[in-house]
Amino acid sequence: MTASNASSDVLDCGRTIQELSEYLEAGRSPRDAEIEQCPECLNALESLSRVSDLSRDLFAADAASLPEPSAGWFGGILDQVAAELRSGRDLPVRHPDPRVRITVAEGAVRTLLRSAADELDGVFIGRTRIIGDVEELGAPVTIDVTASIAWDLDARAVADDVRRRIADVVARHTDLEVAAIDVTIEDVHAPQPRKDAS
Amino acid sequence: MAEPETGSRDLAALSDRILVERAVDDDVAAFAEIVRRHSPLMRAYIARMLRSQADADDVVQDAFVVAWRQLPTLRDGASVKAWLLRIASREALRVLRRSAKETPFEDWEPSTPESTRPEHVAERNARLTALAAALERLPEAQRRTWLLREAAGLGYSEIAEELDVPVSTVRGNLARARASIMIGMEGWR
Repeated sequence: MTASNASSDVLDCGRTIQELSEYLEAGRSPRDAEIEQCPECLNALESLSRVSDLSRDLFAADAASLPEPSAGWFGGILDQVAAELRSGRDLPVRHPDPRVRITVAEGAVRTLLRSAADELDGVFIGRTRIIGDVEELGAPVTIDVTASIAWDLDARAVADDVRRRIADVVARHTDLEVAAIDVTIEDVHAPQPRKDAS
Repeated sequence: MAEPETGSRDLAALSDRILVERAVDDDVAAFAEIVRRHSPLMRAYIARMLRSQADADDVVQDAFVVAWRQLPTLRDGASVKAWLLRIASREALRVLRRSAKETPFEDWEPSTPESTRPEHVAERNARLTALAAALERLPEAQRRTWLLREAAGLGYSEIAEELDVPVSTVRGNLARARASIMIGMEGWR
């Protein structure tokens, strides 16, 4: 614990902090046996590498004590985002009059399917894909969804429930010819209080 | 912070990966949860970079809009935090390059972590304050390089690309920054 003032960047063994910092930045490679056996150098290397941890602590502390963003900051982002939705392809809907062409946006159908399955307790849908030539009436399509489920649920039973829900909504609201519904349980999350009864 | 939409509280339990998938499928509430979850670190880091919280908030706001547009290109939703930090870094560097031609930033007082709890916390806060001061004393190129590496987690080659310098310069600046910070923090031995 010697107080070295002016030459605080030179160790008693003669190495400089700068040298050791470069050695550390190079991943301590190629290995320098002299440094690796010098207690002073090892001590300095230890302190140098702690600077990274301390930096991350500083940014975390900053983030924790940050003032709230100005009013409207959050909304400003979401307004912009809501104005730039991705509607996807156009899905045709049957109509008795052949001169009438009605379509529904793929994005709307995705939202419909996701919302329907989300109503199940402990289930949140991730990605929703409608695979196949959806722009052609009658063409077979596959619906592929991922989901996160509460960890106390039975994955197989949940997958069946999700499949049933989706099949039901597709049949009621679209003219898609569904060949298969694939459900991939991709993630689990902590169980939460029951969703509002609907 | 105001809840952006009803039901968003439920989404807080979900992983980044699931939230990103939902956001790609136009679920604005899922994106709102991503913003809520990751904006504090981004705002804090960019404020250090720009030395202005107001400017940082503008940059982070823009970064999230850019992120929304590019979200379908993000392969792995689990890495969204690093990805967002990279986007925000790029936006911040653009601001710095632009402002270099204009007036310098007004004086900025970096927040000093307050000691609210026991003594060992006060000691830790003193170290963080010393670190913050040492960071402020670094030459600008070293300071930026250090922030890109340690706050945003960018790799050497990414930093080299963003700052338009050779990788060897990045490595040298990091070594110099680390040495200066350590020497600048009293009582490191």
